[in-house]
Amino acid sequence: MLDAILGLFILVVGTVLIASSYIKVHESTQVGFLSNDLLSFFSNTKIRNLNNPYAGIGGELWVQGDITDADNSLLQQIGELYAVNKIDIAERFIQNISKDAVPPQFNYEVWMDGTLIYPQNPPVAHVNSKQNTRLLLVSRKLTFGIINKTTSSIWGPYKAEVFVWEK
Amino acid sequence: MGKMMNRLRKKGVFFTFIAMGMMTIFILLFTSQADVSLQKDNQAVKTRINTINDYVNDLEGRYFESVLRASTYKSILSLVFYINETGAFLEKLNASFQEVLINGTINNVPIDSITKKNITQNNTLTYWSNELSRTANDTLNVNTTIVINNATIFQKKPWEIDSVVSINYTVKSDVAEWTKEVSVATSIGIEGFYDPYYIVNTGSLYTNQIKMSSVEFNKWSISQTREHLRNGTYVHWENSDAPNFLMRFDNKMEKSSCCGIESLVNPNAVSPSDQIESYVDYLFWTHQYNPRCVDLFNINNPDTGGGLWDEFAYFKLDFSHFTLYNITSQDAVLTC
Repeated sequence: MLDAILGLFILVVGTVLIASSYIKVHESTQVGFLSNDLLSFFSNTKIRNLNNPYAGIGGELWVQGDITDADNSLLQQIGELYAVNKIDIAERFIQNISKDAVPPQFNYEVWMDGTLIYPQNPPVAHVNSKQNTRLLLVSRKLTFGIINKTTSSIWGPYKAEVFVWEK
Repeated sequence: MGKMMNRLRKKGVFFTFIAMGMMTIFILLFTSQADVSLQKDNQAVKTRINTINDYVNDLEGRYFESVLRASTYKSILSLVFYINETGAFLEKLNASFQEVLINGTINNVPIDSITKKNITQNNTLTYWSNELSRTANDTLNVNTTIVINNATIFQKKPWEIDSVVSINYTVKSDVAEWTKEVSVATSIGIEGFYDPYYIVNTGSLYTNQIKMSSVEFNKWSISQTREHLRNGTYVHWENSDAPNFLMRFDNKMEKSSCCGIESLVNPNAVSPSDQIESYVDYLFWTHQYNPRCVDLFNINNPDTGGGLWDEFAYFKLDFSHFTLYNITSQDAVLTC
């Protein structure tokens, strides 16, 4: 009887250990995909293809003259706003375009050239979750662009980073 | 009874053996985890290669072109200021352009120190290549080596400058290496630049910025000519003998088959105002009609009160331009 219980115990413990190792693989993959996907979304989507009343063509930023080049990618637009020292607008821009792109159980940050652009003033819970998370992944990309098309003035190249972690 | 218990205990050991056996089978089955790990490694390498490949494509497709465009603009601007400072034409435009574009120097002297303008500092191809290498190393942990072999500048269109550079580059990472030789081309508009031909010929006393005339080739009239002269605008005539914009840097006043442009010299801005010349810029300072006054027209007719001398006294044109600008005898008389 004791041997049977021991045998059952070995089976259960073994199965649980194996199953839990699979759950870990799944989690890291998901966070990795999220950070990559978010950065890919930023770098592969152009302003002209964005249907957004705040950041798209004819939107609020367009009317204000903060966005002038429809061929800029979203990442380039963030870089350009950073280069001309409009970081507050860059923050709102990111908030607007990434609103539904990241599931609510994850936190994320966008950095440009070593400066935290989004969120600029992270709440305590955000900072704590970043410090205490078991898994934080970062995707990086190089970005640059042109500020003045007549004189072809260049900004960058900057290091763009997206950090994603589970809350 | 004791014998029976002993037998049962011995059989019970088999449960443990069976459980351990099953776990061994499970573990053997899950040696595919090693595969997962290997697959994960492969996936990581693949992702890394894709990331760096994106960077290489960006480098070739966008970065080099943008940097060349910016540096070409700054180099031309700087060369105009250089001519303004030295008061002399360049000996060889292409050689000077290449040196300024790549190093920001002319005859091994920083051009900004001569022009006293901060134009090429942090705007040369070498500077941008170094910036890119540094940022790429920081961002993607790759070593980028860029060697710029040569640069040329020319015109295929009247209102645009084309520049081409040959670049060898290597991108090295821990997983792969890219080595390529590419030719990068770009073009920039010439409007807004000062015409070096005016600068040298007048000792910078009379300068003129390139601005394209909006008049269509068959819509010219005396009033359009007046506006043209007043605004210092430029026009491109098909098959004219005019030099293009770049030829004005090293005083090659020859016919440009594709891209010749010309403006009219304002007699009020030169001294003396009354000269036996056609006041078309490249004819005026090459003295092609001096002293052939019989081939010139005063754009003024005292009998009709027509012409341009009320505003531009002594303005003259040769017959060919007299016709091109669609001026009639109502507004002109032979100079002599």
